[in-house]
Amino acid sequence: MPNYTYRGITLSIPENDSEYKGYFEAAGEGRLVVKKCSDCGLLRGEPGPGCPWCTSLNWEWQQVSGRGTIYSYQVVAHTVIPAFRDSTPFAIVLVELDEQRGQPTEFDGLRITGNLVDADFNMEKEASVGIGKRVEVAFQPVEDGFMLPQWKLIDEPDQGFTWSHEVPEA
Amino acid sequence: MAGNPRDKYCIVGVGETEYSRASGRTTRALGAEAIRNAMNDAGLTPDEVDGMLSYHGGDSTPSTSIQYDLGIRPNFYMDCSGGGSSTEALVGLAIGAIEAGMCDVVAVFRSMNGYSNVRIGGTGARASAPIGGLDLMKRPYGLISAVQQFAYTFTRHMAEYGVKSEDLAAIKAAHSNHASNNPKALMKHRVTVDDVMNSRWIIRPVAHLLDCCLETDNATCVIVTSAERAKDLKHKPVYIKGVQGRGTKPGGDFHYQHGPISRVAGHYIAPRIFDLAGVKHEDVDLTGCYDAFTYTVLLQFEDYGWCEKGEGKDYVTSGAINLGGRRPNNVSGGHLCEGYTHGMNMVIENVRQLRGTVDDYCPGATEGDHTFDYSEGGCRQVQDAKISMNMGWGTPAVGSSLIMGNVLS
Repeated sequence: MPNYTYRGITLSIPENDSEYKGYFEAAGEGRLVVKKCSDCGLLRGEPGPGCPWCTSLNWEWQQVSGRGTIYSYQVVAHTVIPAFRDSTPFAIVLVELDEQRGQPTEFDGLRITGNLVDADFNMEKEASVGIGKRVEVAFQPVEDGFMLPQWKLIDEPDQGFTWSHEVPEA
Repeated sequence: MAGNPRDKYCIVGVGETEYSRASGRTTRALGAEAIRNAMNDAGLTPDEVDGMLSYHGGDSTPSTSIQYDLGIRPNFYMDCSGGGSSTEALVGLAIGAIEAGMCDVVAVFRSMNGYSNVRIGGTGARASAPIGGLDLMKRPYGLISAVQQFAYTFTRHMAEYGVKSEDLAAIKAAHSNHASNNPKALMKHRVTVDDVMNSRWIIRPVAHLLDCCLETDNATCVIVTSAERAKDLKHKPVYIKGVQGRGTKPGGDFHYQHGPISRVAGHYIAPRIFDLAGVKHEDVDLTGCYDAFTYTVLLQFEDYGWCEKGEGKDYVTSGAINLGGRRPNNVSGGHLCEGYTHGMNMVIENVRQLRGTVDDYCPGATEGDHTFDYSEGGCRQVQDAKISMNMGWGTPAVGSSLIMGNVLS
């Protein structure tokens, strides 16, 4: 894949990037994928070369539903990245996918970072973010053939442990 | 554990440069000064130092340059990649190098223009540099700085255990009180819980500006040698009772994939360090708990077992961590107030504390004559300090620990 530019940041995804190139190629086609171990069959949230559960180096990309629950988050009030300054405050969320939750141990999950955005890919308002909120992946067009996975709230009841911080008055 | 080196090695010299935000010179110049100060502190000449160890993030000067500047000829040196929690680990590696017969006296140093050049907060050139690899999963979403790398852990912990911003602010207030009695501290004025709460937000809900440490230009050094060699040197020896690190939690860089994500590396290090050092929690008189952010302090206190999981907020607000309390923490003011050094200044402080000659405002401080009046502009020597413990933090997944004492076990 060539280099892409998003918010002034150059994203370099060379041909020999055996971890992330396939992830972003799939995203460019509107598919969210994770790596699946070809031997033990377990999925992993970080697309590394080996299976954390059985050490197998054999893997394939597996499309997932793209639905999940916010597991943790942060609201950026002050950013050091110039192109994000007009967007503060904004939420960065750690989404736990519906697939393989609590497997193979109770604390494990497939967890992916993104921004919490609205239907137009603007940053969602701060009061909407919270642990336990249900979300779905949305692919934000950046350049031809490149889309960035983001997360939108969906109209489903909160799931599991729920919590949100107190939003200060503007 | 095989070959426990308890009490067989010492820290015999400590030194640093000024803590500033405009050193006006290179990391080579800073490093040379810190090592020279530590050699002078120990009473060692350059030909008696034959080992060098440093850590860096591509922001420092190699040992092989600074050896020229001080006339040192190492029989052993390594310049290791590393940030927070490297100090303690390198003290352990120094012991290993001496045990292996590779050298006898090791200067461990860190030199950084952490404000005027490479800032850990990620501002400046770093923020606009091209990215690849695992940054692809974070930076496009605005996730870059250290506090952001840790924030999922902090937020989830806050949610699960009901920590309030006020609890975190109490840590800053305590460290600032300590720093007010430290002539070297970059930020010497005392701040209150309200001051922290009223400083601007950086990352909600886990860090106001004053919950974050001070990016600093500085170099620091500690010198490690055998207890046998230490007998001839200038100061009362400070014995290394045990060292661990850098130890990790499952998942490493991807620790947030596993859980509980509110658990940090100290959980795994704690049983090993106390066992190795032959020390119990109640034996420890003061701590140096890495304060990159107030939250790193609270999490480590819990996972090293100074309180139950979830009760860190009570421990840090109980008065225990304040000077005059049961177990003062970061008596120099730490990273939050003295200056950000990637951990070395907290080890230096504990060495001076265990010597009883900490450099506060007491007129006879350097001779060990202290008033123990901890009001502003006064004393910061912990009375009858015998055992200290450092808890270094690299990330939620990475940490180190060092227990030192001034008497043999």
